[in-house]
Amino acid sequence: MTREEVYGTLNEVFRDVFDDASIEVEDSTTSEDIEDWDSLEHINLIAAVEQEFGMKFSMGQVVTMKNVGEMVDIILSQIAD
Amino acid sequence: MQATFTSFYFLCFYTCILLIYYLIPKKTQWVFLLLASAAYYLLTGNGILILYPLAGCAAAYIGSRVIAGTEDAGRRRRALAGTTAVLLGILVVLKYVNFAVNTVNGLAGLFGVSAGKGEVLRGLHLMAPLGVSFYTLSILGYVIDVYNKIAEPQKNFFKLVLYGMYFPAVLSGPVLRYREDGEQFFRPHVFDYRQVTFGLQRMVWGFFKTLVISERMNLVVNTVYDDYMSYAGIYVWIATVCFAFQLYTNFSGCMDIVLGMSQTFGLKLPENFEAPFLSKNISEYWRRWHISLGVWMKEYVFYPLLRTQAFSKLGKRLRGRFGKKRGKQITTFSAMFLLWFTVGIWHGGDWKFVIGSGLLHWAYIVCGELLEPLFGKLMEKCRINPKSRRVDFFRILRTFFLVNIGFVFFRAESVSAAVHMLKAACVWNLGGLAGGPVFALGLDAIEAVIAAVSLFVLLAVSLMQRKGSVRERIEKKRLPVRFALWYALLFYTILLGYYGPEYSAAEFIYQGF
Repeated sequence: MTREEVYGTLNEVFRDVFDDASIEVEDSTTSEDIEDWDSLEHINLIAAVEQEFGMKFSMGQVVTMKNVGEMVDIILSQIAD
Repeated sequence: MQATFTSFYFLCFYTCILLIYYLIPKKTQWVFLLLASAAYYLLTGNGILILYPLAGCAAAYIGSRVIAGTEDAGRRRRALAGTTAVLLGILVVLKYVNFAVNTVNGLAGLFGVSAGKGEVLRGLHLMAPLGVSFYTLSILGYVIDVYNKIAEPQKNFFKLVLYGMYFPAVLSGPVLRYREDGEQFFRPHVFDYRQVTFGLQRMVWGFFKTLVISERMNLVVNTVYDDYMSYAGIYVWIATVCFAFQLYTNFSGCMDIVLGMSQTFGLKLPENFEAPFLSKNISEYWRRWHISLGVWMKEYVFYPLLRTQAFSKLGKRLRGRFGKKRGKQITTFSAMFLLWFTVGIWHGGDWKFVIGSGLLHWAYIVCGELLEPLFGKLMEKCRINPKSRRVDFFRILRTFFLVNIGFVFFRAESVSAAVHMLKAACVWNLGGLAGGPVFALGLDAIEAVIAAVSLFVLLAVSLMQRKGSVRERIEKKRLPVRFALWYALLFYTILLGYYGPEYSAAEFIYQGF
């Protein structure tokens, strides 16, 4: 899966979780950029991403992830294994 | 020596520590801070109780070394479970066994079951070490981070002890995170005039909040809450609002002193408050009040809880039954219930804390989430712009009101006293204020004016802080203006603060936890 393909799928997950069809994420997107992305939705987002890509974030990654770029890096490294 | 930072002896102690800290070789600064922290702990409480934090640090040290020393998942998990059991076990035995015993005895009494002296179970009489609720969270968080491989395990036991027992933060927090705050303790710190001045200025601001505002509010609060059967209506509200400001200025003032003191040592600790009474809803309030506790609970209780197999299964079942959105919501609410119960009980082994600082706030958030669509429609129908300043102002007032109901439980002597006060608060007696009996609540007219002016200064500074650092803005002013401002605050605090040998200042409220 290429980075672009990951972003394509990830955009769908974000739109579904936050119920907003206009969301378009990129490397620098953070919780500050999406209105409903608070600590409650963060964990729902993580679960939805895990389900979509068939992978698992470690607890350390869940709490230290700084932006969507880091999320994509982790997804790519895990689905490559 | 008194534990409180506002005591004269503590200030002498701190001044000596600060001077020596910058005179000794930089490599030994952390050792000196460790010795100062041990001395502080020994001098302020029952000396033998220092064994508790030392035992906690030893458990965390051994646990983290075992975890870091193996890739065997089972061994790592067992080491984490063992260390967590030791750390939380100490906390539970010291703080919560009597809570459980009292609850069982209370329930047994309700159903007419009793044994011995009317008690089914007997409580323990153990002395809890100072700051046990704070340092336990800091060191437990460190062990969990080592387990999650996001913190480097500390090889030097004494360095870990300094992190756990650092004297300004050991009694009232903030709750530290080793992966972000830990390493700075062991680095050399060169004297930086700007940092030391900034730190001292922040301490003065903390003293102002504590000695001028909190102590005045305390008088009104005590008058009403210590004799709550005699007061109703507006007096309950006045005392409760005073308590909200007492607690806020006491705790955030204490944090200003802790963070300012740390800044003078070249250390940057996490912020604990961000104008919480200007929050527009309860969730936002908890992102601004006792921030370090909220972050800790989120990372080490809420997230792991939602990622357990039990909650995953529950989520799947609920989504199947109630649909995707509602099912997700109910799962989150269930985990939040346990989270808020934990937050409440962390404040103390008493149902008044479990309700006032925990479950009541859970109920607020759940109701807020469930009613949000309804309010949205209502505002649309009434043609009210939800983003207008007026609506925001209403939201701030509403949140403050809800928080105050929680404070009634927090401050009242028991749950039944709180319920009595809330019932009494519904009495309409606003007209009675006209005769001036409000000045008989502990503050006469002049004292009330001083309190009001001080609260206005606090509000003005809080609003200014939203646009950036006030200290940095003052720094850019010309020298006479700068000096005039800081010395005005200093002398205002010295002249109007409540302190000194004849005055028994109220302790920092959160030091009791």
